[in-house]
Amino acid sequence: MKINKVARAGTMESSDIFIMVQPGDNQGLDIRLSSVVIDQYGNHIRNVIMETLKSMNIEDIELTANDRGALDYTIRSRVETAVKRAL
Amino acid sequence: MYEIVVHKIDIKSHMREKTERFLASFGLAMDGDVEYTIIARIGDRIIGTCSFAGKVIKCFAVAKEYQNIGISERLLTEITNVMFDRGIQDSFIFTRPENKVLFEGFGFKEIYATDSIALLESGSRDIKGYIARMFKNSGLDGGEKAALVVNCNPFTLGHRYLIQKASENNIQVVVFVVEEDLSLFPFPVRMNLIKEGLKDLENVTVLPGGEYIISSGTFPTYFLREDEEKDKAYQSLDAGIFGKYIAPVFNIKKRYLGTETYSKTTDEYNQAMIDILPNYGVETVLVERIEVDSKIVSASTVRQLIREDRWSEIRVMVPDSTYNYLLSDEAIPVIENIKKSNSRH
Repeated sequence: MKINKVARAGTMESSDIFIMVQPGDNQGLDIRLSSVVIDQYGNHIRNVIMETLKSMNIEDIELTANDRGALDYTIRSRVETAVKRAL
Repeated sequence: MYEIVVHKIDIKSHMREKTERFLASFGLAMDGDVEYTIIARIGDRIIGTCSFAGKVIKCFAVAKEYQNIGISERLLTEITNVMFDRGIQDSFIFTRPENKVLFEGFGFKEIYATDSIALLESGSRDIKGYIARMFKNSGLDGGEKAALVVNCNPFTLGHRYLIQKASENNIQVVVFVVEEDLSLFPFPVRMNLIKEGLKDLENVTVLPGGEYIISSGTFPTYFLREDEEKDKAYQSLDAGIFGKYIAPVFNIKKRYLGTETYSKTTDEYNQAMIDILPNYGVETVLVERIEVDSKIVSASTVRQLIREDRWSEIRVMVPDSTYNYLLSDEAIPVIENIKKSNSRH
């Protein structure tokens, strides 16, 4: 499945994650993550985002994530919301 | 507990003055080009503010006793949401170097910093990727090049002379054209007239300048003057970005500059280039302006002559391509605008 516009979800407040998605240019899942806990949880957050995208059958996307210490369910719901807004 | 509210203010109301007073306590001023301003307040007391102009987030401050309790986060979320709704997905922030860390926590990345100012871009932007794509799309090879950055508002024989000099003394020349559409001659027109006027110079490539060469994102004071200190800081930023990011990718070893008699901004800008570019292995070459009938040929002179309908004098300052354009129907609205305005651009 492909998204066709730019959309975002989330805030920059503590314990949240800000997600912005836009159609990719056939580069697959292109994720740009910044996080206050990137050293500790960077890979984990990236995996949660990847899995959420895959579960929605998204194959081509450019996703910018700015994490402020969000828990997994927050990450999942923010990613899902952003993608649905971009469909 | 007291409640903190975040909301938009009418920048034409008395709230502007209140916000300006708040900013002044941080040694900050409300920039002239601000489009939208929000504040955080408790009761009547302003404890934080943030604004934007174009793609740039600016005039940001939070009262010291209220820092680190999430107010910056609310201000930034709100301002980026408003920008997003207006179609601005990527942003820049100018801030003091000591505040860099705060914004890095919000996913902003440093592009360049001087002693007095740092320029950051939002996480969705990527200067290195952008410049790499610019180079790839240009079709140029990896050979050494000389470069010029021009606005050409409009293209004159003065520009032609400067670029010809570069063309004669270098194997390859790149001309970057300021892409921002804030000049009296629209970008596509400027671009066409430059290409037409340089058609015979085979080693010259004309390219759009993109978002990191004299754009309002990275160099707002080129289009709107502020105080001298700010101008200087922005000029250094632009020179630094050229040296650090653009010159290495395009393999630019020389930058040609025209001497400037009329525009103080351009003169200081040249000085910033001369001071900064050698640090990045780029030599600067300053070329004297040419004169016709003891008048210096410049785009601003041409615009002034247009205002006064002195066409025979314009004729000797511009190449055929520019002159024919000025006489065409397409130029009528542009000329009307020039006559109405006194803008530097």
